[in-house]
Amino acid sequence: MRNQSKLSKIISIEGVVILAAFVLMVIFFSLNADSFLIPDSIRYYINEAVPIFIIIVGLTFVIIAGGIDLSIGSVLGLSAGTSLMVSMWGWPFWVAVIVGVFTGLAFGLFNAVIITIFKVNDFIVTLGTLYIAAGALTVITDKIQLIGTKDTNFQRISDMSFLGLTSSIWFALVIVVIFELILLKSPFGRRVFATGIGEVPALISGINTQRTKFGAYLISGGLAGFGGVLLASHLNSVQSGLAGGYELTAIAGAVLGGVSLAGGRGSVWRAIVGALFLTTLNQGLLLMGVNPLIFQIVTGLCILVGVVVDRGVYKFALTFSTQTREVNSQILDRKKVSL
Amino acid sequence: MKLNIAASNSSKSLRNRILQDPSFGIVALLAVAILAMTVLEPSFATGGNVTNIINAMMTVSFLAIGMTVVLIAGGLDLSVGSTMAVTAGVAGNFLSYGMPMGVAFLWALAIGMGIGLINGLIITKLGIPDFIATLATLGIGQGVILLWTQGVPILGYMNDAYYYIGGLKKIAGPISIPMIVVVVISVGMAIILKRTKFGLELYAVGSSPISARNAGVNVDAIKISAYAISGLLAAIAGIHIAGRTTTVPPLIGKGYEISAIAAAVIGGASLLGGKGRVIGALLGALTLTLTRNIINLIGIESSWQAIVTGSVLIGAVLANRASSEFGRKTFRRGKS
Repeated sequence: MRNQSKLSKIISIEGVVILAAFVLMVIFFSLNADSFLIPDSIRYYINEAVPIFIIIVGLTFVIIAGGIDLSIGSVLGLSAGTSLMVSMWGWPFWVAVIVGVFTGLAFGLFNAVIITIFKVNDFIVTLGTLYIAAGALTVITDKIQLIGTKDTNFQRISDMSFLGLTSSIWFALVIVVIFELILLKSPFGRRVFATGIGEVPALISGINTQRTKFGAYLISGGLAGFGGVLLASHLNSVQSGLAGGYELTAIAGAVLGGVSLAGGRGSVWRAIVGALFLTTLNQGLLLMGVNPLIFQIVTGLCILVGVVVDRGVYKFALTFSTQTREVNSQILDRKKVSL
Repeated sequence: MKLNIAASNSSKSLRNRILQDPSFGIVALLAVAILAMTVLEPSFATGGNVTNIINAMMTVSFLAIGMTVVLIAGGLDLSVGSTMAVTAGVAGNFLSYGMPMGVAFLWALAIGMGIGLINGLIITKLGIPDFIATLATLGIGQGVILLWTQGVPILGYMNDAYYYIGGLKKIAGPISIPMIVVVVISVGMAIILKRTKFGLELYAVGSSPISARNAGVNVDAIKISAYAISGLLAAIAGIHIAGRTTTVPPLIGKGYEISAIAAAVIGGASLLGGKGRVIGALLGALTLTLTRNIINLIGIESSWQAIVTGSVLIGAVLANRASSEFGRKTFRRGKS
């Protein structure tokens, strides 16, 4: 009985299940795919997935605040385009970075204004800006071929090596840590949770929910802009349609990591584990020589199973913590935060 | 004095009814666009161009009607595009093996409806959010047709009858079979939504699932039926598009879910559920198609198309919003 309750306690810690699934998958692939555990190959595919890790951070803020941002993928692509364009015109690398980040911020601001001030549904607004950003990139690439800057400084933004990892990966790590701290420790982060749990109670307790959402969309846009800069610097060429569909991978990753689309529940590191799960799955299947046409099916099934398991565990954790109130103050605390 | 008030009220009420109509904003926008185009662009109001527009809006119309039903019930179906692709593939492939047309179409319809049922069951019985469940079935459907065709378009299934069904050959003047089917489905669906118990329950479930359940409505069954209807209409769109394009590339349905959602929402359906009309879905489909047509006619480079579409989507929703606020304000003033 005592053992059972200990097991329950461990399962109830949020994120443990997806982490366990991730570890199991890594073990499975390292046994079945020869080159899976080679450091270079790991570094390579993690490096490729950095833009997704960066947009998922902003997306997590938006989803926890009870919103959704579908525009991040194509905003990332457009920011990659604008920053590379500026760099190709001969501007120094820091101007290109600023232009890329501000492209993202501009779209974040636009989303935020229409959603929070004009009160239009977030799904529709960000769907519209998805089109607008993707279209803007098409218009740019129709006029100018974005096939590479000569500025080595711009290229080095993403491809410097430090302690065996590329600067892209370091940027992603720093962003994850900083924004996780903001989300979990700062007053703004608490307001994000409160807004997502329920706008009315949050309003009653004196939180400006619209301003909180405004901030979340700005963060999402700004990070998409920065992700675009990194991608442009890494690829050093931008075509129309770049990063289209990233938003779906990011949303799927976040949901797999237990970020609730209903708002008010989740954390950055869990969303990252979810995204890592999806990218590792693709990489492993690729190395096993599975027909790439199956990937979409496997990813779809994974999302379904992941969400069902996550919901089951969450319900289990709730009943457990209400039944044995005295044993686990930790879960009760977590419940207070994430309910 | 009393009579006076009554009279002013009744005249107000007609004005209010027009102003408060959920589609007033978008109709006004369309009217302005059509008027401007008729004056400025001589090739716009020609018979040929009008039939072009109507033919081009058929596929999205089917999907948008299905999407509207799902949105009314408080759901969201991202899988319609890939369901359309799968059923188009089924129709084309079965026909190319010499199956009788009716049987092949029945298979396509059954598979479309089956995908819808699966969506509904996953969402209601497993409790997965609509967005995620249908996103997963979108991926699975697209993966299935890619794997099945190995990326090669399906072709060689066209026969004389299919040219009529696809609308490539007209039955009388500019009238084609798809047009008749759209009209029949629209009228039938509008009657179901407005005049039947099922329609009432759909709106009830979308407005407030808890109150609907308390009132004795089987919420799960209603939601599942909504998704089944959406799947069925996606299959009809699939059969139609296979005939219209005469080949089925595996990614034929890509992006259609977005057009369908956009059309339904432009037509006044709400992602919060409980709102939406068939006529709205058709107006939305018309708006999207007209936008594309106008872009082509006035010679804007086609690379601008996505920007204009996105702006029209946001603009139309803002216009609907503004008109309903305006209507509510005048209504209040009329009352006081």
